[in-house]
Amino acid sequence: MQRTLAGLLSLSLIVPVALLVVLSLTRYWIFPDIFPAQWQIEQWQRLFQGGSDLVPATMCSIGIATGVALTSTALAFPASRGICRLRRRGALLTLAHLPYAASPVVLGASLLYVFLRLHLADSVAGVMLAQFVFAFAYGIILLSSFWNTDVESLIGVAATLGARPVQVWLRVLVPRALPLLGICLFQTFLISWFDYALVLLVGGGLVDTLTIRLFQYFEAGDARLAATCALLLMAPPLLGLALNQRLLTAGLLFQEIEHDG
Amino acid sequence: MRIHSPDASSIVLPLLVIGGPMTLAGVFMLVYSLGGIGLLSPGWTLIHWRLVLSDPQTWISLAYSAYVGAASLAGSIVFALAIVFSLGALLRRGALGTLIYLPLTIPPIVAGFLTAELFGGAGLLSRVAYQLGWIARPADFPVLVYSRWGIGIILAHFFLVTPFLVLLFDRLRRNERVDALMQLAQTLGASRWQTLRRVALPVMLCAARPALSVYLIVLIGAFEVPLLIGAQSPSMISVLIWNRFARFDLATRPQAFVLTTLYTVIMVAALLIVRRARVGLDRGER
Repeated sequence: MQRTLAGLLSLSLIVPVALLVVLSLTRYWIFPDIFPAQWQIEQWQRLFQGGSDLVPATMCSIGIATGVALTSTALAFPASRGICRLRRRGALLTLAHLPYAASPVVLGASLLYVFLRLHLADSVAGVMLAQFVFAFAYGIILLSSFWNTDVESLIGVAATLGARPVQVWLRVLVPRALPLLGICLFQTFLISWFDYALVLLVGGGLVDTLTIRLFQYFEAGDARLAATCALLLMAPPLLGLALNQRLLTAGLLFQEIEHDG
Repeated sequence: MRIHSPDASSIVLPLLVIGGPMTLAGVFMLVYSLGGIGLLSPGWTLIHWRLVLSDPQTWISLAYSAYVGAASLAGSIVFALAIVFSLGALLRRGALGTLIYLPLTIPPIVAGFLTAELFGGAGLLSRVAYQLGWIARPADFPVLVYSRWGIGIILAHFFLVTPFLVLLFDRLRRNERVDALMQLAQTLGASRWQTLRRVALPVMLCAARPALSVYLIVLIGAFEVPLLIGAQSPSMISVLIWNRFARFDLATRPQAFVLTTLYTVIMVAALLIVRRARVGLDRGER
């Protein structure tokens, strides 16, 4: 019974992803056929040869997500320590949850006027700045779980042995926090990579990412290209899953965070 | 030694990066909603607030968002608990041990698209139903996507959230030593159903409450999935805000900002209540 249930569950997890693959390889698939009548791989060939319309959107998404992930992780690491050393750190950690409570749509719409005044609307820089707020907040929440008395003792030992503050950061803290920094880098990359609302609002249709493309193809009824976009969007997290499952389950750390708060 | 002192300078960045935009957005939406700024603004007025607060659509949309969020989460909790208690260690072994992570790689916008392709009128399930002779045409298939009851949105969220909850509950089951507690209860004469209902579930749900609250807040504010496969009316609050904001008629824009103000106040209050409850719970435990 347990084995049957496990098999059924496995099947239900595979079917959606298999459907995406089939859709992306379909040329002709009408109701009520269970399988496509004709197949094709043209758009995948064009994509890998660099001639597809999806290439600029993919590159734009990669560029934005990489920039957001690097800056937010680099800045959230020292900032999380500053917060964790405060007696009332819970209040500041709650502040870090606020952008998520307000939602990207609300924040994006409300900040659009400011972005327009700063000539950041309809630009990649504007989208990155808007996403940075969310990624940085997430980085603080995640990295705050790193700081504890053991780490503080380690800092004390390093200082006693004559290490300068920069050396402590680069030679002691960064190496020790490397696994968590890797998770933070990956998760903040995904925050930007998966984002649709902020690109739509701040990008104003001029910033072309994969999520924007997927929506456009879906609205136009082109399931084949929408599925191709969907698989491209899933590629980095699938790679992360292949490397280390922990990269994807950092959300579960909300447990520890709330206990710390 | 101090890398840097835990003084004001250490919190300048978080306050600037998070507090700054939040404050700016808060002030802007309030001033815009009161007519203080805006292209077609006639000057300071409460008319937009009166219009929005007296519009039944506002309250329907808020209630609908709460319903969709709660239904998605409740369904996911029940299903995830059932899986964790039915499969136990099987969840961590073999192919299932890896496959359970698969939905975690799917972004919300893809989940919405997949829901349409699986549960739509001409979707995969409809095709299977036709082949089994259950329906004669796509229109015979139950309306799950673009449904007024938000079934498509709930299904998409269910698919996104359940694996997270399975992993969370599986971890809590081990961390909170639920199996040992259940065994103890059974030794003391409790039936299997009683140990589940009065021991395991309270322990696990209580420990998971902070995470579940955060999930609920995120689900209520969901945007991509309801925009993609939600009904036009009623619409979830984020979609209603988007519709008022992005309309060609600029006159509705102040109403969008009334809605954003209202929504933000409700959600921030919910977040603070969750935090206070958590702090209270922690003090109680000590």
